[in-house]
Amino acid sequence: MKILVCIKQVPDMESRFKPSGDGLWFDETDLAWRMNEYDEYAVEQAVQLKEQLGNEPELTVLSIGPDRVVEAVKKALAMGADKAVHVQDPAAHQKDSWQIASIIAGYAKDKGFDLIFTGMQSQDRGSAQVGVLVAELLDIACATTLVGFSYSDGVVNVKRELEGGLKGLVTLQLPALVTCQLGLNVPRYPTLPNIMKAKKKEIEAIPVANLLSEQAVAPTAGFYPPARKGGGVVLEGDVADLAQKLVGILREKTTVVR
Amino acid sequence: MEATREIYWNIGHGVVLPMYLLVTAAVGLMGWGIWKRFNHWRQGKPLNRFDRFDERAKRMIAEVFGQERVFRVRDGGIFHAIFFWAFLTLFIGTLLVMVQADFMAPVLRTNILQGRFYEGFSLVLDLAGLAALLMLAGLFVRRFVIQPAGLEITDDDYRVHALLFAILISGFLIEGARMAATEMVTNRSLALFSPVGMLVAMTMANVSPDGLLLMHKVLWWLHFALVLGFIAALPYTKLKHILLVSANAFFAPLEEKGTIATINMEDEEAEQFGSATVADLTWKDRFDADACISCKRCQDRCPAYATDKPLSPMKLIKQIGEAAEAGQETSLVETIGEDAIWSCTTCRACQDICPANNEHVNKILEVRRNLTLMEGAFPGDEVRTAVGNLEVNGNPFGMAFAARADWAEGLQVARVNEGEQADILYFVGCYASFDKRNREVARSFVTICNAAGIRVGILGKDEKCCGEPARKLGNEYLYQMLAQENIETLKATGVTKIVTTCPHCFNTLSRDYRDLGLTIETEHYSTYLNRLIRDGKLTLAKGEAQDCTYHDSCYLGRYKDIVAEPRAVLNAAGWRVREMGKSGYDSFCCSAGGGRILAEEKLGSRINVARVKQAEATGVPVLVSNCPFCLTMFEDGIKTGGCEETLKVRDLAEIIVERIGGGA
Amino acid sequence: MKALLVCDYREGKLLDTTYELIAFADKLGVAKAAVLVGSEAAVPQFDGTVYLAEASALGEYNPAAHKAAILAAAEKEQPDYIVFCHSSYGWDMAPRVAAGLKAGQVTEVTALVDGGFEVGCCNAKMRRSIKPATAKTVLTIQAGAFTAVQPAGSATVVKLDIPADSKGVSFSGYEPAEAKGVDLTKAEVIVSAGRGVGKKDNIPLIAELAKALGGELGASRPVVDSGWVEHSHQVGTTGQTVSPKLYVACGISGAIQHLAGMKKSDFVVAINKDKDAPIGEVADVLVVADVLQFVPALTAQLQK
Repeated sequence: MKILVCIKQVPDMESRFKPSGDGLWFDETDLAWRMNEYDEYAVEQAVQLKEQLGNEPELTVLSIGPDRVVEAVKKALAMGADKAVHVQDPAAHQKDSWQIASIIAGYAKDKGFDLIFTGMQSQDRGSAQVGVLVAELLDIACATTLVGFSYSDGVVNVKRELEGGLKGLVTLQLPALVTCQLGLNVPRYPTLPNIMKAKKKEIEAIPVANLLSEQAVAPTAGFYPPARKGGGVVLEGDVADLAQKLVGILREKTTVVR
Repeated sequence: MEATREIYWNIGHGVVLPMYLLVTAAVGLMGWGIWKRFNHWRQGKPLNRFDRFDERAKRMIAEVFGQERVFRVRDGGIFHAIFFWAFLTLFIGTLLVMVQADFMAPVLRTNILQGRFYEGFSLVLDLAGLAALLMLAGLFVRRFVIQPAGLEITDDDYRVHALLFAILISGFLIEGARMAATEMVTNRSLALFSPVGMLVAMTMANVSPDGLLLMHKVLWWLHFALVLGFIAALPYTKLKHILLVSANAFFAPLEEKGTIATINMEDEEAEQFGSATVADLTWKDRFDADACISCKRCQDRCPAYATDKPLSPMKLIKQIGEAAEAGQETSLVETIGEDAIWSCTTCRACQDICPANNEHVNKILEVRRNLTLMEGAFPGDEVRTAVGNLEVNGNPFGMAFAARADWAEGLQVARVNEGEQADILYFVGCYASFDKRNREVARSFVTICNAAGIRVGILGKDEKCCGEPARKLGNEYLYQMLAQENIETLKATGVTKIVTTCPHCFNTLSRDYRDLGLTIETEHYSTYLNRLIRDGKLTLAKGEAQDCTYHDSCYLGRYKDIVAEPRAVLNAAGWRVREMGKSGYDSFCCSAGGGRILAEEKLGSRINVARVKQAEATGVPVLVSNCPFCLTMFEDGIKTGGCEETLKVRDLAEIIVERIGGGA
Repeated sequence: MKALLVCDYREGKLLDTTYELIAFADKLGVAKAAVLVGSEAAVPQFDGTVYLAEASALGEYNPAAHKAAILAAAEKEQPDYIVFCHSSYGWDMAPRVAAGLKAGQVTEVTALVDGGFEVGCCNAKMRRSIKPATAKTVLTIQAGAFTAVQPAGSATVVKLDIPADSKGVSFSGYEPAEAKGVDLTKAEVIVSAGRGVGKKDNIPLIAELAKALGGELGASRPVVDSGWVEHSHQVGTTGQTVSPKLYVACGISGAIQHLAGMKKSDFVVAINKDKDAPIGEVADVLVVADVLQFVPALTAQLQK
């Protein structure tokens, strides 16, 4: 069996974001990087499936981006992936979901993957499109937002997380692609022997030009901080007045008070 | 009549050969018993505790004959120390008799045991015997009558007490019988130099001369048999501690306190990290289990044990022994229990007090290394999150690393990582950088230094966690990664002196980092300030005298012997320290060491509340500490313990910064 | 310009979020048509055409068939925008439709801006505007970002005949939500109690406010340690890390362990007597008042 897991390296969300010079994405200075949290669940599930099948399946991890993404790729290898593909692209952030999906599909189309795992969305862009688009381009079955996964005899049974704690039960025939939600499993902490083994695993580097053939269909027009009321409002005074004022603010600034 | 006595009186010189043969046999049996045990120890992994022979020997002699470790705990300690010296004296006395009888007399034809010397000899031995008997009685009462909590009584205890009583009492009876038949009749004035013997002899006044001779002979052989038994059975009774505890004083580590093995990450052959099974233990680990005499002093001082966690350092040592008996594949975690393993705060109270020089802490750390590095286990999800944060942002809070120097806004600090110059490099640490309460300490320290004309440099956002909590939880890999980055950054700055306000950073940079290549001198600010004050570079206005109690952080007091300097600094600022019962080397941990600052305390009762209550009991309004973990734990403990009205906790730096300025 | 609105339907019912789609289309100022895979009884109330495929035949979850239905409706209406709610249905279906139409997709639109559609990114810390480059654009809109219109009007229903082929994906039904300890990580509103609440007896005041805001009760560490609130409510590094849309911190000073657990919240209101409490550094609004006085007043105001 051949399994593919697609991961993205994203900045840690605690970082302070500033628009870059061209105003279309964030400046990379002073950012700490990590594997997209949703992708950690995808990698873990892929490794668990591999273990379930007696380690027979070959698990490939793929990521697109500049050289720094190799660190995230190594973590996936340390968690249990067998080999990696690094699509070298110093300008990955300039591509939209459609382009990213086409690059992945371009790589995957002739490899015969039985199952592809991705995270449901990325923490930085959050478009939640790439996984489903890859499935569409490869014309394979797909279900999103997994909080439950089980496999037996060529059939995948999943639980989709719906609103209000409800779950949808879906069965997929292979080949299939699934996108993973937080809480699907408990991503393992790589053991030291596995970290050391990962250092020797193959990372195939492919220049993005070899796989890119699409133009952007939803390009970013601007990237900017939200209009801030300057460090937070301080309200003082009569309690009843304050209550009224606050409800007004909540109505205006949030979607939870109707 | 001259002061001397006939050796082998009533026994005859014919006994000499069989006596030596029997003693040799007994010693041989003892040796064989030790040899068997030796094969058991040898199954452990190698460890070099035979280097620097002179230092080791010196330490062993000092500890064994000085009984310093035994003495430290008065309860039982004084009794044992005196008993030891008394028994030793008796032993030397017996040796002298042997030397006189079998060498001095036949070969040199002299008699040292005569005259004034013999008088002194007799008196000293009698008093020693009496002291031994009284001390043994005291120890007997302690163990069997008072029965201190946690002190187990085994069959071996009954047997050994009986044996020792029998040896001492039979010794006096022999002396009494001999004196009744000789000195009491012929040399009364000499008899006075054996007062106890004399008293015993007086009770035998009505025994017939033949009766005395018979009694003496029987008792002599009985006493001899008991001593042979003592020797031959030594490896199988608790008396083996005579050899093993003494040896452990020799084998005790010579490295700085707190030294842990630095795993070689380049070793591609390494398959096992940390201790999973008995096979991973060293011979010393097995030896420690045998050297342990179950005195429970470690257990008495363990903050985890005191608050109902499943950890007992004594039990841990014994369990390792039992596991070693069970076989090489025996799992250590299953034997000891994962909760017990994670409960340790590495406060070192156990190791500090252990009279047998057992090494408890590193055994626990090696098991933790296996749990973390081989199994990816954590004591809780919150620790996992914190470790993930350390990996991504270099601090356990998950705060953006770029914000690490925000605390210094508005203060005069040099950005050494950007090439600015400074007199000292202040390694701030995660808590002082990010935690609001602890930022006051960082700000106070910088202010104090500036007042003393010292330019303080910081690494800013290039500083990362020193890695200590990760290391103590077993994550050697993450620790080394963080350490390498810090060391590279530090070396690149060219600074020659590092000062830190955190004892954990202090221990790690001054000691642990040396294995990874950092040689820059590192100091804790309490000794640094003490010197500034002493050298007149920092003057403090004494102001109104204030009362406080001072908490000795484990990583300053027990680990680094820094006990006097912080008190000196407080006194220089006009503060009076009222000590808690558990202070100095006896200090009671705040609970956050051993990486536990990252973990939630879920078992038993709260260690920090226990310590806060101890502080409150002194009646002073202020508790002073100088560690960010202690400060955090005590702020929390004061709230949880409901002491907000009665006690405030402040860091030493906050106290001192208030008193900067000239004046008396 | 025209928008084709894709309605959410579950367990035999139309979901109310449909009326947010209508509001969005109105804001965009475009003509509207709708498509629903559901039942005739569930057709939304609005003046326009609703293309209907039977969920009883196709299944409530059948991506291939639903995609075919939506594409069929799009074929007929030729909309410029195909709009979904950003729901578990919408984010699953939208990219499929976008791929089918070779249309660009903009996900979780929160506002219309000059130059395109605005979405949040980087954990809602930043904003991005996107100008679609294709003739048709697929959009998903953030729940609650566009206030729903009142249902009004009656639709013209056009039935679609869609083959039930599910192409390897089959839906076996729903699993109901379990009743378990509080899971704050999925809460949209959390109202947390801190030491400033004073004592255990005052916790109900905070719980009342949480209820009035439709949210969950949270707590800071000392409050849980003191036994005023059960542990599963704890927010912070040793409790739960949360990211609600609204976080109200009542009498919480803001120790770093607590901040670390809630600073991902979209909007933070702090109520504290102390103007300089550290929580103020992450609060969008700091109400300087006594918790015990302000919270009841706020609850009353919300219940009006």
